[in-house]
Amino acid sequence: MLITAVTPGERVGVGALVPGRGLGWSTMTTDQPTIEQIEAQALAEADAAVDVSTETPEERAARFEREAMPLLDQMYSAALRTTRNPTDAEDLVQETYAKAFAAFHQYRPGTNLKAWMYRILTNSYINIYRKKQRQPLESDAAEVEDYQLARAASHTSKGLRSAETEALDHLPDSDVTRALASIGEDFRLAVYLADVEGFSYKEIAEIMDTPIGTVMSRLHRGRKQLRELLTDYAVERGVISSPEEATR
Amino acid sequence: MSTHPDRVPAADCADVVLRLFEFVDNETGPLDRARIEAHLDECGPCLAEYERDLLVKALVRRACACQQAPDTLRSQILTRITTTVTFVEPRQEHG
Repeated sequence: MLITAVTPGERVGVGALVPGRGLGWSTMTTDQPTIEQIEAQALAEADAAVDVSTETPEERAARFEREAMPLLDQMYSAALRTTRNPTDAEDLVQETYAKAFAAFHQYRPGTNLKAWMYRILTNSYINIYRKKQRQPLESDAAEVEDYQLARAASHTSKGLRSAETEALDHLPDSDVTRALASIGEDFRLAVYLADVEGFSYKEIAEIMDTPIGTVMSRLHRGRKQLRELLTDYAVERGVISSPEEATR
Repeated sequence: MSTHPDRVPAADCADVVLRLFEFVDNETGPLDRARIEAHLDECGPCLAEYERDLLVKALVRRACACQQAPDTLRSQILTRITTTVTFVEPRQEHG
């Protein structure tokens, strides 16, 4: 009953799920896989069970190419959202793939390669850009405290009415990416990993190298900021009246 | 609005709002999930909050749809992989 009440989410969500899902077995609609798909599946199974210690450099390079290169579009998209400009995104992806290739013998075959690559991307981003920007970091303690304060604040605020929630659905994608680019980088990354990549909290904690509680706090605060920004944009565009005026 | 005395596993609004994002991310355990669902069935404001959270999540996913990496980037990375291997392990064919 609850699930059927969420048509807005369903409407926008479906299209975004399709691209870049590994070999695409689960999304295949035909009954008979092609020869190429059978071969690819066999290779993927072999790659998942490979003995790294007896592998030649050529074999490892070929395996890296087979396994990591299909993730390139996803890694580039994430880098684009993280760095917020194409040049830095390309640099970050270059760096990520160079490091991943150099450390590929440490990757345990058959485990989650995408999460492993994301961890390298995140570390690289922190090393390259955070040093450059020298932004003051908020402590985890402050995050947790804010998170607890949010408990009271989030419910006393009136929030949006359903009609206004509906209005948010009509905001252009550029408003959403603008809002995402405006929030803190840790929040942005956590939200991206959860919402776009669908990683679990545990996986995000491993990728960002933080406790799960910090991940939850970042998601909570990041989304709250996103919602506020999107509401502002909707008011600017005249899609909804300002929350102060919206009394019911 | 905040309590339902006749329901044994009562979840009040504060609890639900606090954990709504976990619910949206499908990270709540089965027991909490049932409690939150029961609450949302009965509490309009919390349901509206939930719908908005769900929408924002979907909007982010839609707006950040996968973009194709530039061809130059792809070929640079591939070149790097191949040349590194050639450098590490020189071919012995001519010996």
